[in-house]
Amino acid sequence: METYTEQYNPAPVAQADRIKTVDIIRGVALLGILLMNIPGFGMNWDGWYHILHGSHDTKDYNAMAIISIFFEGTMRGLFSMLFGVGMILFTQNKKELPGGPTVAEYYYRRLLWLVLFGIFNAFILLWFGDILYTYGLCGMALYAFRKTNPKWLLVLGFVCMGVNMLKEQLRWNETRDLRRNYVEALHAKKENKELTGEQTAAIAQWPEREDQKPDTAFMNRNLRTMQSGSYGTIFTYWIPKNVWDETSAVYNNWFWDGLAMMFVGMALFGWGFFSNRLSTSTYVMTLLIGYGIGIPVSWIYFKMGMVTPAAGYAHYVDMFRVDHQMLYDIRRVLLSVGHASLILLIFRSKIIPWLMKALANVGQMAFSNYLMQSIICTWFFFGYGFKYYGKLHFYQLYYVVFSVWLFQLIFSSIWLKYFRFGPFEWVWRSLTYWKKQPMKR
Amino acid sequence: MSQPVPTHPRIFSIDVLRGIALLGILIISIWEFGGFSVNEQTRLRLLQKGADYNLFSAIIILFEGKMRAIFSMVFGAGIILYLSKPQQPLIQTHELYIRRQMWLMAFGLVNVFILLWPGDILFQYGVMGILLFPFARMSKKGLLIAALIATLIYCGKNYWYYADDKKAYRKFKAITLVEEKFKKDSTERHHKDSLAGMPKDSIHVRDSIAKKNDTLTAFQKRDKNNWEGILKGLKYDSTRAAEKAENKAMRSGYGKIWNHVLQRSQNKESRWLYQVGIWDISSMMLLGMALLGFGFFNHRFTKGTYLLLAVTGIVAGAMLGWLRLEYTHTRLIDYVKYINGHAIPPNLFFPVERLLLATGYASLVMLLLQLNRMTWLGRALSATGQMAFTNYFMQTIICTLFFYGYGFGYFGRLSLTKLYFVVAEIGLIQIVFSVIWLRYYKHGPVEWLWRRLVNRKHFSNKKTEQPAL
Repeated sequence: METYTEQYNPAPVAQADRIKTVDIIRGVALLGILLMNIPGFGMNWDGWYHILHGSHDTKDYNAMAIISIFFEGTMRGLFSMLFGVGMILFTQNKKELPGGPTVAEYYYRRLLWLVLFGIFNAFILLWFGDILYTYGLCGMALYAFRKTNPKWLLVLGFVCMGVNMLKEQLRWNETRDLRRNYVEALHAKKENKELTGEQTAAIAQWPEREDQKPDTAFMNRNLRTMQSGSYGTIFTYWIPKNVWDETSAVYNNWFWDGLAMMFVGMALFGWGFFSNRLSTSTYVMTLLIGYGIGIPVSWIYFKMGMVTPAAGYAHYVDMFRVDHQMLYDIRRVLLSVGHASLILLIFRSKIIPWLMKALANVGQMAFSNYLMQSIICTWFFFGYGFKYYGKLHFYQLYYVVFSVWLFQLIFSSIWLKYFRFGPFEWVWRSLTYWKKQPMKR
Repeated sequence: MSQPVPTHPRIFSIDVLRGIALLGILIISIWEFGGFSVNEQTRLRLLQKGADYNLFSAIIILFEGKMRAIFSMVFGAGIILYLSKPQQPLIQTHELYIRRQMWLMAFGLVNVFILLWPGDILFQYGVMGILLFPFARMSKKGLLIAALIATLIYCGKNYWYYADDKKAYRKFKAITLVEEKFKKDSTERHHKDSLAGMPKDSIHVRDSIAKKNDTLTAFQKRDKNNWEGILKGLKYDSTRAAEKAENKAMRSGYGKIWNHVLQRSQNKESRWLYQVGIWDISSMMLLGMALLGFGFFNHRFTKGTYLLLAVTGIVAGAMLGWLRLEYTHTRLIDYVKYINGHAIPPNLFFPVERLLLATGYASLVMLLLQLNRMTWLGRALSATGQMAFTNYFMQTIICTLFFYGYGFGYFGRLSLTKLYFVVAEIGLIQIVFSVIWLRYYKHGPVEWLWRRLVNRKHFSNKKTEQPAL
């Protein structure tokens, strides 16, 4: 669209300017995200319920405990943090032509395309767990904060977490109200008092809420559709869910979820955390704090927030004024910081430089790799591909994850030997600058 | 400190149009403020006679959606004007622009969740202003094409929702066939059982029938309920049960109303914006951006062109509006018959209808201004439009205090005609207030606050010279 001289040509970040540690951590987060996404790709939805309500002495239960305690939300958390960092880097590194589009314009074009890529990922590639759409929208809110002091960014991050916690507590209060009304109505019934209309309703409502068992007919239909449906069938099947995810879910939850971590990430970047600028002892300390507090809290979250309610929901509701879901973001921030510190320490120790190099490659083309996970996994599991949906045990899903990891580590390294960007990065950049970008090295 | 904030050039005609749109918006939003319920609307539509019906149908044709369309149109033009401040570096303008839109969203949230107006559109305008920011550099032709594409998509969406209804009906029909078969089967079994010599009314027989009588699956039941729900929503309910509940809720205290409208408010800011609002708003904003480029608001067109646009837009738009009214009526009488007989929904061309009428009205105003026929009225409307943001909030404050339970509680108590007395009264108050306020101050109070927050700099709102009274 625009024709500028080479010197003024606003261009993607030069290789030398890339911060290697940011790429490495992004690579880890990108691969790690599949740990949480794989059940969505390949397991029928009642899988969680059956594992939690079944024997606790199975491989499935143990795998789920490990994943939930150590990784739940943390990889998305890291990914969000680095998305925030990416915003700062993008807006810092641009040269502008007088009179030409400003950084702000490129930035917002880029994000608008990201939103469209998210829609593509959800509606065309059929990955209903897409996060690009949410990231695009969150990113649009971030721009105004790109020069904010790290201290205030941290505060903003906690405010966003507070919003989600507040909403959680309101939902919890509602559940407890249902329960209390039910118990009171039962008492009244026992004493042979005449019930009011509200009390009759309360007696009917609570058992519905208490029954956490997934609807069998619904689950069977889900399994059948996903396992043997054609592309067209699954495409239509997902539309309502995708619309719900991109409207109510984003509005009520995901927007705050993403924004909170992005703010925290920007704050940490401002202090030099992600760019390997702090001393080794500082990283050891953040590691100890992150894991030392994060892991026990996360353990409580899993045991009390997931296992206990599964054992007896009514008892759980009676027992706790505050839901353990409240710990979600706290444990997530701590664990994410712990993970990042660990990676940075390994990087510094130089024990596995080849792996670090490979992870940096994965991180450098994170966008392509993210979309590639959708392509590989939907083809492997869904009815129009290899139909593995619902056929693997929970723990077996992780064999798929490890295979995808291996593939992505190798593929990214080879690709970047010959090309400057990942394939989807190239499309995205070309669209953003509205000009075909050079691809080959 | 008197002039720290660079201002963009004001265009008189845009202020006038914004003033008209701002006053006109209340013509429709008073339905929601005042409790003019959907059920009551259905009653009037089916009645098809009487003063209330005539007033109602005239408003549907001439105003429904059109005033907000003009509002979006001038908002779009305003985007371009704001971005073309010559006095400061472009990057700074862009920074301020983004902050401005985000504060607008925040103001919208206040309007919805503090002042309790679920019909608010400020939040949506803030979002759309950010989404359309990358389009601001497009050529005027490109913008016009984009506006038309957005309008077409909007039409397509309306068709889509009709297709959903059709599908729901087809499923329902298939299920009724299944049910008939079940019934037949069970009657046959009953006969067989009777023939076997069992006493007809023994418990044993009834049990065997109940066992053998097939039932619908959960999905079939859901599909059946879905269609029955759609039909029920279209039917006039003479018991007015829903209205009574709504009136009771809206005449209660602040906390209860907050809870009551919460879901509706959230829905408007998420689902509505995603499914309808984005096209509804962007099509007209893009048109406004294009029209500014063509010089529409700067009297760059001849009187003949404005006249032509006004006549074509208003006549064609009103005709489409009348058709929509008629088709909606047919649909209300018998939706099944409508679905069997019509390929398109009543509102298919609504996006075109409002585009035509909004453009027609705007052209008419431009023509009148060009002919100098609106001197004092024009100035008054321009004042109203200059502080549209303040006035928008004022409408919320006045109407909630007048209609809601923590105020005078007139919700659902006024007839349609009376509601329009309230609208006229509020319009008059707003015009007078705006004219007087702008004699002493540079900006409306909320506009001042908005600028103050965006620019992060204190500046005085007082006019330096006292105007001659």
